[in-house]
Amino acid sequence: MKRHSVVLVAALFGALWAPVAGQKYGDLGGCSDEPQQFHQCATAKMKEFNPPRTPDGTPDFRGHWSRAGVFGTDNIEEHGPGLGDPGGKSLVVDPPDGKIPYQPWAAAAKAGYEHTHMDPAALCYLPGSPKQLYTAGINQILQTPDSVIFLNDYTHAYRVIPTDGRPRLGPHVRLFMGTSRGRWEGNALVVEVTNQNATTWFDHVGNFFSDAVHVIERWTMIGPDAIHVEARIDDPKVYTRPWTMAFGLRRNADPAFEIWENACHEGNVLRWPGTDLTDHLKLYFGARPPN
Amino acid sequence: MGTRPISLLVLSLVVCLSSLAPWRAAGQTGTYAPPRTPDGHPDVQGIWQVLNTAAWDIQDHHAQLGVPAGTGVVDGNEIPYLPAALTKKYENFGNRHTVDPETRCFLPGVPRITYMPFPFQIVQSRNQVTILYEYLHAVRHIFLNGEHPSGPIEWWMGDSRGRWEGDTLVVDVIHFNAETWFDRAGNHHSEALHVIERYTPAGPDHLQYDATIEDPKVFTRPWKMSMTLYRRKDPHPELLEYECFAYKFEAEWQK
Repeated sequence: MKRHSVVLVAALFGALWAPVAGQKYGDLGGCSDEPQQFHQCATAKMKEFNPPRTPDGTPDFRGHWSRAGVFGTDNIEEHGPGLGDPGGKSLVVDPPDGKIPYQPWAAAAKAGYEHTHMDPAALCYLPGSPKQLYTAGINQILQTPDSVIFLNDYTHAYRVIPTDGRPRLGPHVRLFMGTSRGRWEGNALVVEVTNQNATTWFDHVGNFFSDAVHVIERWTMIGPDAIHVEARIDDPKVYTRPWTMAFGLRRNADPAFEIWENACHEGNVLRWPGTDLTDHLKLYFGARPPN
Repeated sequence: MGTRPISLLVLSLVVCLSSLAPWRAAGQTGTYAPPRTPDGHPDVQGIWQVLNTAAWDIQDHHAQLGVPAGTGVVDGNEIPYLPAALTKKYENFGNRHTVDPETRCFLPGVPRITYMPFPFQIVQSRNQVTILYEYLHAVRHIFLNGEHPSGPIEWWMGDSRGRWEGDTLVVDVIHFNAETWFDRAGNHHSEALHVIERYTPAGPDHLQYDATIEDPKVFTRPWKMSMTLYRRKDPHPELLEYECFAYKFEAEWQK
């Protein structure tokens, strides 16, 4: 019953965000959409592709984008098909076995979450980083001379990434989306994300991080309509070593496309204690390593 | 007689200046010439916030526990309710601490989102003005080159279509639901709400904000709110978060 409820929620998400027929998508830089294969192909392509530039001379990511090289958010590790997720290879490209290198306490905690806690995404919580970049739905990238902005239609999440070299916030400011600081390295946008409150998961099965997490994202265009994203996850409270996941973004090439309202919380009937879902599952307040 | 050439000179200068700056006639401030984006529009980008108490009550009000006193933002202070709608406003006021949709952390609608006591950031692109709000991480996509989709559509934040009239960004907003209020004091509308917002640069750090409210199901005539938006001048201003419903869940679950 518990498992059933969680899967049902995941299925709703998958069904809501399946690509709509008739949308125009660009080419994925000639790469396969399969996780792992996409990463290998994109790593080669990014060395030769010369991206378009904004008037400021930085690579031009502007436009509408959807995730690629990832088929669902059930599980970022290799998994079989589920409701709303066709299954597939792990998004984890390092370590090479595709497994998140959890410390023993964290592996035990993660194994329980799926059966004991509500997926924070089912409550319309903000996705955090890097999940924002592989969340289902259509996204938009805006650029100004001193920032890059990534917006999701799903839950109308957004992240403003200053590229003006400003200092970080102090460690006591905790945010669902963290704070991002960006810089340009060659053709790549490198984004360091800290200050996450860590009350969201990477996926529906409870892969998690703590508030000590330090994420370094690298966004690189590999073709006019394709972006490769690599995210290095470092969290000494939870993992035995830093690890890396990779995926992509594919351009929605319809020039008339518009993002419309997505009122997730407002329409969410599962949201309060006493409903069927909350009778069985707890709210996730974040993970704490044993002292 | 001797003054005539000077008068003509002055007159021709005035005519000349007017023709150089025809857009100024549309702006309310008249004298301030804002910087321009690369696309040639007035540059209203940055982080802005109101300094008023309209989120609690858009009309004149005295202080109560947790509510600062304030002078209203409604032109003339009176809201021209139809009789039944006025009755509902009084009912709403009596139940405001539990019935205001904002207490359930729902998107607060337009123009209320503007005067929530939180900052918001305006970002301009060629065909779009995007407003990012710290409150509930709400986003408005104001499209400059499209038409309202045909309805009926009921959105919490409506459908926003913008155009530049001189230096003023004029935003036409329709397709609302009837679920949001204008303030905590119970001022309300129906799904027939039509809002026309006007953002006019009044100086490097100030925008004049006007919102005309039409709703024939609730009001006898259109009425208007006016207020100033102030630029956040902190050393590195940055939107943070106010995830209202997440904090409410935490409070509920910790009981």
